[in-house]
Amino acid sequence: MSPLLEMKNVTIHFGGLTAVNGVSMTIEERQISALIGPNGAGKSTIFNIITGIYAPNGGHIYYRQEEITGKKPHQITGRGIARTFQNIRLFGELSVLENVKIGGHCKGRAGLFGALTRLPGVQKEERLIMEKARAALAVVDLTGREKELARNLSYGDQRRLEIARALASGPQLLLLDEPAAGMNTLEKQTLMQTVQHIRDLGITVMLVEHDMSFVMNLSDHVDVLDYGRKIASGTPFEVQQNPAVIEAYLGKEPLDLETD
Amino acid sequence: MEAIFDFFSNPYYIQILTITGVYLIAALGLNLITGITGQFSFGHAAFMSIGAYTSSLLTLYLHTPFFLNLLLGGIIAALFGVLLGFPSLRLTGDYLGITTLGFGEIVRVVFINTKITGGAFGLAGIPRETNIILVYLIVVLTIISLYLIKNSRFGRGLVAIREDEIAAEAMGINTLFYKVEAFAVGSFFAGISGALYAHLIQYISPGDFGFSRSFEILNFVVIGGLGSIPGTVVGTAILALAPEFLRFVQEYRMLIYGALMVLMMTFRPRGLLGGVDLFQVWRNFRHKGLREKI
Amino acid sequence: MEYLWNLGQLIAQQTVNGITLGATYALIALGYTMVYGIIQLINFAHGEVYMIGAFVGLIMITTYEVNFFVALLVAALVCAPLAMLIERVAYRPLRGSMRLAPLISALGVSIFLQTLMTLIQGPNPQGFPKVITDTVYLLGPIKFSLVQVIILVIAALLMVILNLIVKYTRTGKAMRATSQDYDTARLMGINVNRTISFTFALGAALAGAGGVLVGMYYGSVHPFMGVTVGLKCFCAAVLGGIGSIPGAMLGGIFLGVAEVLGVAIGLGTYRDAIAFALLILVLLFRPTGLLGRPIQRKV
Repeated sequence: MSPLLEMKNVTIHFGGLTAVNGVSMTIEERQISALIGPNGAGKSTIFNIITGIYAPNGGHIYYRQEEITGKKPHQITGRGIARTFQNIRLFGELSVLENVKIGGHCKGRAGLFGALTRLPGVQKEERLIMEKARAALAVVDLTGREKELARNLSYGDQRRLEIARALASGPQLLLLDEPAAGMNTLEKQTLMQTVQHIRDLGITVMLVEHDMSFVMNLSDHVDVLDYGRKIASGTPFEVQQNPAVIEAYLGKEPLDLETD
Repeated sequence: MEAIFDFFSNPYYIQILTITGVYLIAALGLNLITGITGQFSFGHAAFMSIGAYTSSLLTLYLHTPFFLNLLLGGIIAALFGVLLGFPSLRLTGDYLGITTLGFGEIVRVVFINTKITGGAFGLAGIPRETNIILVYLIVVLTIISLYLIKNSRFGRGLVAIREDEIAAEAMGINTLFYKVEAFAVGSFFAGISGALYAHLIQYISPGDFGFSRSFEILNFVVIGGLGSIPGTVVGTAILALAPEFLRFVQEYRMLIYGALMVLMMTFRPRGLLGGVDLFQVWRNFRHKGLREKI
Repeated sequence: MEYLWNLGQLIAQQTVNGITLGATYALIALGYTMVYGIIQLINFAHGEVYMIGAFVGLIMITTYEVNFFVALLVAALVCAPLAMLIERVAYRPLRGSMRLAPLISALGVSIFLQTLMTLIQGPNPQGFPKVITDTVYLLGPIKFSLVQVIILVIAALLMVILNLIVKYTRTGKAMRATSQDYDTARLMGINVNRTISFTFALGAALAGAGGVLVGMYYGSVHPFMGVTVGLKCFCAAVLGGIGSIPGAMLGGIFLGVAEVLGVAIGLGTYRDAIAFALLILVLLFRPTGLLGRPIQRKV
C-alpha cells in the first residue's frame, strides 16, 4: 500500500539558517507517527511546510500521490490535512462551539450569497456543520461547554479544543504540534486515550512531542530530527536503541524514558 | 406627544435624521470590514464618493431611473473595493490602513482633476430623490444583511480572520478571497450611502469625501464598538447628532468633540458596546426580573 | 544639445528645490518613525504639533520680534512638552488596548488642537514675515536661495544631533532597547514611560522646528496646515521603512524630490496624490519600505 504522506528531500532556509535539510519521510495510513528531536531541530517547521504556511526551498511533498508542495494552507486543509499549533491559536473571543464550527469550514460551501439567502441547501449545510462540531467536541470530551469563551478555558482544555477544531474539518491526516505540552500527568493519560480513539476513527495522526514516555507509549512509528536532518526512523524500540539518537539527546548517555 | 409631532414636522430635524441614516449605512459597511473582519480601512469615504459620483452622473447625463443609479453606485464602489482589495489586502494592520488612506486621497485628487465630475467645484443640481423613509428602509436592510452575514459560514470565516489569520487559513479559509469579499460588501454599502448623500444634499464635491470624512465614519464604528452592529447604530447616532446637541457652545463644539473622542477611548477603549452581547444582557435582565417576581 | 543642457539644468534645479522641501518633510517624518518604532502608534496628532510649532515661531517673530533662530528654538522648546502632555493624556492610558483606540484618540487630539488654534488665531492663513533677505547664490547654473541654504543646514544639523542622541546617549540606548522589546527593556531597569515621553519630545522638537522652517519657506501658516503635510510625512516615514531613522530621512527627501519633479513635468494638480501613489507602489512591492527590515511570518 502506498503511504498517505510522503516527503522527498525537503529543504528550507531562513536567511542563512537551514532549518530543514533534505528530509525525506513517509507517513503510513491509520498509524500514529511521531516526530521527535531536540529544540530547534526543525519539527514544527516541517509541520508548517506540510500545511503550506512555509513553501520549501527544495524537495517535494505528496499526499495520496498528489503533489501538494507550495499549495496554500487553505487548499491543503481542504484536501484533508488538519493541524493544531504549538503556541495555541484559538479564536479567543469566540465561544467553544463557534471555534469548532469554524473548524468545520471545509464541510460547507455556502458563501456570501448563501449567507444572504439562507436557501434550504444552506440550512442543511449549517445543520451538518453543527453536527460535525458537536461530534468533534464529544471526541475530546468538551460537550456541555459550548458557550464558554475559548480564552477562558484552562490550558489543557484549550489544547483539547484545538484538537476538536481540527477534527471538525473531517481530516484524514491530523498533525498535532506538542499536544501534551503544559498538561499534567492525568491530562496526558486522557489525551493519550483521545489520540488512540482518533486513530481508531480511521484518522492518521502525526505528532511532534517532547514528552518521551508519551511518544514511546503511543506511537507506531518515530522519526528523529537533529539540526534539520533526519537521523533515525523506526519503531519506538528501534529508535531508543539507535546510538545517533542517544547522542543527539544526551551526548553519550542512554536515553531515559522517564524524563520529560 | 405634540413635541414628537413638532420634531418630525420640522424639516431641519428631518434632514439631520436623514443624513444620520445615510452615514449609518456607510458606517455599517465599515463595521463589516474593520469590526467583523478586522481589516483597517482609512479610506471609506472614497467609496462613498465613487457611489455618489457614479449615481449622480447617471442621473444627470443618462437620466436613468434613480433606483438603478443607486444600485450601480453601490456596485461600482464594490468593484473598486475588489480592485484595491486584491493587491492591498495582502498587507496587514497599519500598512493596510495607510494604503487605503492613500487610495482615498488619490481618488479625491482624481475627481478634482476630472472634467466630467466638475473638478474641484463638483456637481450641482442633482435632483432630490432621497427621503427619510427610503434611507431608513435601506438602513434596516443593511442591518439585516449584516446579521445574516455574521451568523453564516461566510461570516464565521470573516471573524476567524479577525481573531487569528494563520489559524483561519489552517481551517481551510481562503483568507485573501474572504477579505476581498468583505471589502467589496463594505464598499458596496459605502457606495449606496454616497449615492443617497448626493441625491439628498443635491451637491457633491471631492472635498466632501476626504480622509476627514473617512475618519469620521471610522470614529462612529470604533466609538460604538468594533464588530457590534447595535454599537455602530448607537455610535453613529450619538456622534452624528452630537454637533447638533453641542450647538449651544457654538465655536467650542469641535473642541469638545475632539476632547470627547479622547475621553471616550480612555474610559471605554473597546467602544460603547464593544464586547457586549445585547441578547445576553436582555436575557439576564429578564431572568433577574423573573427571579424577583418569584 | 542646447535643449539637453536646459533639461539637465532644470532637473538639477528642481532636485535642489526638492531636497529642500524633502529636508523639512524628513524633520517631521522622524517624529512619526520614532514614535511608531517605539510604541507602534501612528501619531496622527504629530501634524498638529508641527502646525503649533509654526504658529509659535510666527508669534515669536511678529509679537516678540525675536531673531529667527531664537524663534526656531522656542518653537522646538514649546512643542516638546506639548507632545509629552499629549502622550500622557491621550495615549498612555490606552497602551495595551486594541490597536484602533489610540488612533481614534490621536484624531481627537488633532481636532482639538486645530480648533484651539482656529479659536486663537482665526481660520485664515497668516503671512509669515520675510525674516531672511532674498539672497541668491549661484553654484554653476544652479540657484540656491539663502532660505534654502538655511533650511538645509538646519535640517542637517538637527538630524546629526538626533543621530548622536539616539546612538550615544543613555536615553538613546534606552529608546532603541524599548523599541526592540518593551518588556525586556523594562526588566533591564529602563524606565519605559520616561523613554517613551522622551521620544515624543524629541520628535516634537524636530517637528516644531520644521514648522517654523516651512512657514518661512512658503511665507504663510494656518491651523489646518498640519493635516496634509502630516499625512505626507507619515508616507515618507513608511516609504523609508517605518521605525528606521535613516529611512525617515531618505523617505522625506525622496518624497520631496518626487513631488517637485512631478510638478515640474506638469503633474501639479496631482501634487498631493504623488506621495500616496509612491507609498502604495512601494508597499505593494516592498511592504517594509526602502530601509525596513523584512518581516518573517511568525507561526
